[in-house]
Amino acid sequence: MRNFARRFFSRPAAAAGFAVFALILFIALAAPLLFGHGPFSIVGVPLLPPGSPGLLAGSDVLGRDMMVGLAYGARVSLLVGIVSTLCATIIGVLLGAVAGYYGGVVDDLLMRVTEFFQIIPSFVLLMVLVSFLQPSLGSTILGIAMIGWPQMARVVRGEFLALRGREFVQAARILGESDLHIIFRQVLPNALPPIVAIGSMMVGSAILTESALSFLDLGDPNSLSWGSMISGSRSAMWVAWWTTVLPGLSILITVLSINFMGDGLNHALNPRRRER
Amino acid sequence: MSASAIAISGLTIALPPGADRAHAVDGVDLESGAGEITCIVGESGSGKSLTAHAVMGLLPSGVRATGGSIRFGDADLLKLAPDVMRRLRGRDIGMIFQDPMAALNPVMPVGRQVTEQIRAHRAIGEAEALAEAAKLLGQMGLEAGRVLRAYPFQLSGGQRQRVMIAMALALGPRLLIADEPTTALDVTTQAQIIRLLKDIQAQRGMSVLFITHDFGVVADIADKVAVMRHGRIVESGPAAQVLGHPSDPYTKSLIDAVPRFRNETPPLASGTPLVTVNNLGKTFQRGGLFSRDKPVAALDSVSLTVGRGETLGIVGESGSGKSTLARCIIRLLDPDAGEVLFDGADIARLKPRALKPLRRRIQMVFQDPFSSLNPRHTVGEIVTAGPRALGEDAAQTTARAAEMLRLVGLDPAAMRRYPHEFSGGQRQRIGLARALMLKPDILIADEPVSALDVTVQAQVLKLLDDVRRQMNLAMLFITHDMRVAAQVCHRVMVMRRGRVVESGATAQVFASPSSDYTKELLAAIPGRARLGFGN
Repeated sequence: MRNFARRFFSRPAAAAGFAVFALILFIALAAPLLFGHGPFSIVGVPLLPPGSPGLLAGSDVLGRDMMVGLAYGARVSLLVGIVSTLCATIIGVLLGAVAGYYGGVVDDLLMRVTEFFQIIPSFVLLMVLVSFLQPSLGSTILGIAMIGWPQMARVVRGEFLALRGREFVQAARILGESDLHIIFRQVLPNALPPIVAIGSMMVGSAILTESALSFLDLGDPNSLSWGSMISGSRSAMWVAWWTTVLPGLSILITVLSINFMGDGLNHALNPRRRER
Repeated sequence: MSASAIAISGLTIALPPGADRAHAVDGVDLESGAGEITCIVGESGSGKSLTAHAVMGLLPSGVRATGGSIRFGDADLLKLAPDVMRRLRGRDIGMIFQDPMAALNPVMPVGRQVTEQIRAHRAIGEAEALAEAAKLLGQMGLEAGRVLRAYPFQLSGGQRQRVMIAMALALGPRLLIADEPTTALDVTTQAQIIRLLKDIQAQRGMSVLFITHDFGVVADIADKVAVMRHGRIVESGPAAQVLGHPSDPYTKSLIDAVPRFRNETPPLASGTPLVTVNNLGKTFQRGGLFSRDKPVAALDSVSLTVGRGETLGIVGESGSGKSTLARCIIRLLDPDAGEVLFDGADIARLKPRALKPLRRRIQMVFQDPFSSLNPRHTVGEIVTAGPRALGEDAAQTTARAAEMLRLVGLDPAAMRRYPHEFSGGQRQRIGLARALMLKPDILIADEPVSALDVTVQAQVLKLLDDVRRQMNLAMLFITHDMRVAAQVCHRVMVMRRGRVVESGATAQVFASPSSDYTKELLAAIPGRARLGFGN
């Protein structure tokens, strides 16, 4: 484990990504302690630029503190991004692994189900799902997981199809290992690089998708996210750039830091790179 | 001997910093005259392929020639500008490679690929080029009309290699570079291609640089031989001299390591067989929901027996069904017909659950030393996998694994390392240790040495034989190489297209084969005449 950490942090990009992500996570978690008021309370004149007295990031169209909004927005955006990606990854890896490892009828069946999800325009499906379930944090997470897993399942299936023919898998069968053990202990570790890569992209796209939902007023009305901040400020975009640019920048930095961490994770997990 | 077509002198190729040695090729001098076939022989990592790539101006990035010269005609190939070199390549220097499938474009008919090659260097029309291509393919012994329209996947490996040779020769090069051109081919096809190359070389009087690891092939084709090791030429000279009276100890060891028909394993007295296979059949059918391809019979009523302490060789070319047979016996595949009696009980149709207790008694060693070990597991995890799957005591298993690694000739400290840190031969030893950990009764070895260098091959064969003796194992030894089979098997069985063509005691099958196919296989063994096989 200590070795793993050393390998992970030996890459500057991964270390930087981790540091930035940890900072964002800290601000998100500590938001109620850091700020005396909630994200919805009005603290001053609308559209004050960043650096105005007491307003590090300025104020928005309603005169709310942008800094507090960004901190609370991080809570929602990160929660949605990470939880929905985890759900999508678990579903996608399980179905993809089973389809790819067993092949044949099982594969046909599972892939037809996957295709069913893929042929429906995913954002339309998401909108229908969320409005059907009433917009809330839970329905947003569920909806994003539902449109995310087919991509993961496809990739994992492909990896398993390629790997199951390898001789070490045959050797494991001959040694009498159970299918479960072969799938999770023999094959899955070799399929990790694309899973980690897609997973880290997915966190980013989930945050963006949540933003898009909020933009369409389909987000949770009781919580502020980076997306809903952009959505709510769009009318002021030309007169007060910080109202949209700052939440946008937050998304960008978060997604970038997660991608860097994903690269570092793959590097640290690969035994070929270990001695260096 | 005429003037040299190509003269390499003092060629030095540097490796990027951090590689295992500073120079991949270190001061190589080599000449090949017009009308001469010069073989560069060596094991993997000897620098033989890099030397050839330097001549073609195709060194991989990060690797460059730092010294010496390659004179071709009036030019020094190392000093030519890339675009001049490109015009030379293909026109004056032809090339053929090991894997014709990878060198041909899979979605373009063969005819277009040949004419493209011709028209890239000469200003002629498509019709004219096509006529030329047909003529060339005809000279290669191909049925030009059909092959021109065919896609690469519709041709056999030998036909594809003939197409590659036709393309290489299309512009009448003065030098042909052949990098292991027959290594991926079956032995009978290999013999044909070697004969073809010799004939064409004699007709055209060009110079050939032939890269190979196989001294048998050298014996069949070479006028001159250069033996390479660690980037240097350790010995060179006329073929007869190098092969007949090698002066360098390394050359001697390489020639000695070529398996001879030296059968020291007479058949055992017949006892009760451990495994009896009766009329085993397996048919493959591919296709989707609406269309089915024609079924292919991979195994057609194959029968065999093997007893404890006995090695049965199963010999055949690709597509003979020998690997399918192994996988049906070990139940990686389910046979369609027939029975596999293991200690008297039929296991051909056992359900996975019922099969599990038997698994430990039948084990297998695989062909590919790279794909047979999980790259993400340590050697310790790999070797103890079998006992762990059976729920055996961890501490005891680890102790036994260390002992087993020592038995196969590895340091037990290897347990903590990963497969990629080991050489091909060492990996095969790890694979063997993994199989032996379960104390099997029968070991199936599927081409266990075909991916290894000859000297390593000899060591692994010896280890397999020692282990068989020590543990009184029954062994099914699957190979495409008659020479290897002759060395280790008590009895052999020759397969072709899913059927058994011939079987019997090794010495008898090799000395007086009864089927034409076996005779053909034996005749095709490279270097048979010159290296003194068949005694």
